[in-house]
Amino acid sequence: MPETLKLIFQVLVFPGGLFALCLGLCLKGFERRIRARLQRRVGPPLLQPFFDLAKLARKDTTIPEGAPACLFSALPFAGVCSMAIAAAMIPITGVHLAPAGLGDILVLFYLLAIPAIVLMLAGSASGSPFSAIAFSRELSIMMAYEGPILLVILTIAIRVGVSQGGWIALSLNDIIAYQQRYGAFLFDPVMWPALLAFLVFFPANLGVAPFDIPEAESEVLDGPLLEYSGPLLGLFKMMSAMKAGVVIGLGIALFYPNAPGGALGLMCFVLKCFVVSSLGVAVLRTSMGRMRIDQAFRFLVIWPGILGLVSLVVVLWRY
Amino acid sequence: MTTTYKLPVGPLHVALEEPMYFKIDVQGETIAGLDITAGHVHRGIEYLTMNRNFIQNITLLERVCSLCSNSHPTTFCMALEQIAGIDIPPRAEFLRVIADETKRVSSNLFNVAILAHIVGFDTLFMHVMETREIMQDVKETIFGNRMDLAANCIGGVRFDLDTERKSYLGAQIDRVIPLVGKIHKLYLTDRTILSRARGVGVLSKSDALELALVGPVARGSGVEYDVRKKAPYAAYDQLDFEVVTGSDGDVWSRALVRIQEAEVALDLLRQCLQKMPEGPICASLLPEVPAGEAIAKSEAPRGELIYYLRTNGSDRPARLKWRVPSYMNWSALPLMMKGNKIGDIPMIVNSIDPCISCTER
Repeated sequence: MPETLKLIFQVLVFPGGLFALCLGLCLKGFERRIRARLQRRVGPPLLQPFFDLAKLARKDTTIPEGAPACLFSALPFAGVCSMAIAAAMIPITGVHLAPAGLGDILVLFYLLAIPAIVLMLAGSASGSPFSAIAFSRELSIMMAYEGPILLVILTIAIRVGVSQGGWIALSLNDIIAYQQRYGAFLFDPVMWPALLAFLVFFPANLGVAPFDIPEAESEVLDGPLLEYSGPLLGLFKMMSAMKAGVVIGLGIALFYPNAPGGALGLMCFVLKCFVVSSLGVAVLRTSMGRMRIDQAFRFLVIWPGILGLVSLVVVLWRY
Repeated sequence: MTTTYKLPVGPLHVALEEPMYFKIDVQGETIAGLDITAGHVHRGIEYLTMNRNFIQNITLLERVCSLCSNSHPTTFCMALEQIAGIDIPPRAEFLRVIADETKRVSSNLFNVAILAHIVGFDTLFMHVMETREIMQDVKETIFGNRMDLAANCIGGVRFDLDTERKSYLGAQIDRVIPLVGKIHKLYLTDRTILSRARGVGVLSKSDALELALVGPVARGSGVEYDVRKKAPYAAYDQLDFEVVTGSDGDVWSRALVRIQEAEVALDLLRQCLQKMPEGPICASLLPEVPAGEAIAKSEAPRGELIYYLRTNGSDRPARLKWRVPSYMNWSALPLMMKGNKIGDIPMIVNSIDPCISCTER
């Protein structure tokens, strides 16, 4: 029983649920401020994402005519739940181990796909033609990045697995333990193709420029979120904030998990998140425009695919 | 997804600055056809002008549209001066050029900035707007307003440049020229701009001629038509400048024409400051306006603007009619759109720089 209670706590409060939400929102506020400064603007207060959520929570939700009300309102909850669970599966070195009860890295991989699927379903449920376009865009982007990221995960899992005497290590805890013993993959040239592939995957998955195509405001009016308002829109905002935390956390676990234990470890993790978010998200968004969907699809299929294959071949050959 | 479906863009759409309604036939992500519905901001201004006297009309026409707000009263004054036989003083001719070209720099930079915003490159948008802001400050300092300059009156202009303002304007021009040069270089080399704007919304020179397009849209397709050169008005015959043309006829080419025209406009401003003679800024005493009719045309930032004025001896127009550049240019949209992607719609619409409130008045 205490095991179950602990699991529930991990999903709802730390490091899932509440913690992931706060982390995600802070990252977003920070990233917006940095972006503003890079564009020589003042920028919003650091807590603006929290204010936005509070505002949305007090508003009414309009459900468009002809939309299946039940599906339309259930989807955002599904998205938030998937991210809360995914966040609980991200280990924080020295603080939190991925609970075995939730599954391994492949489960996490599937959970990460849920927000995109939720957005697609939400878009098509709302019945707007713009959402329909966003649906097809989201789908093609997802098709493009899912393959390469699987290659990256496979590469790392095989490398760690072989060192353990087996074939493949699917537990994030093992991956972290390996890096703590032998040094982080970030500093290992053999892993750089995989790192690069992950760095391309990460903006595509988070919908950041140049891959913010499904939600492009000036093209498809925020795409899937077009018909959403009030608390339901707030849930989507929560979902994307948590997703940012999860994807960045996954990147840290895969490539640079090294940190001391205890409170210092937690601080290290948060600090790394902020660095990745300001360097990755803010700088990317300020230095680039948006690709067209066909350009993005070609780019995402070719480059991370090649990089992922290269890293897999190198790892298979060397280990 | 090979079935065709209709995508409504507008009447209110975040990427369009003004209300305009496109019904777009889409196959997957590709545009198959286009239907334009207009008339959402019709305000009956042509009728209103017939109920006001000439002087009141200058104020009214200034408010037809914010971005070409100086071209309308200037052209109206030109038509009226033709009927009344007023010769405007040489200094006023130069001052009219100064007002016009200041507006042109702002207007062109604004359009080019919006292009960057549409491709999601907000940093470039901010950067161009920051440069445009200097021109806005210039307008506020010299004319007292950021958009509506209130520069014209019948027989001349309402503002003068003393030594202090002349040196201020000169200094600001010197400040803006290198900045616009930088923007020019950015639009020539930036990867996002190149990959999104080049080869998009192509319009051939023959199509541009066929549809009688005007302004930067026509010049972007290689049509060398500029009212300032073909039928010089104000002081343009005394100034030295080249007509800018592009060759590709795509969104990129039109944007580059606009940037280069902003550079030309800055150069014209500088020439005006040097060549402007001393003297009165306005013809004295308005004569009675006889019955008659006249056509005047000028080069607004978006292209040729034509005014037709008929008077009947009273102090009000018997008929006032104008043709704005956007009216000609939006007929090219169906040709430009066909075969492009949905993501390109806002880019293509923006590339003709439509001024809906001018067109629908």
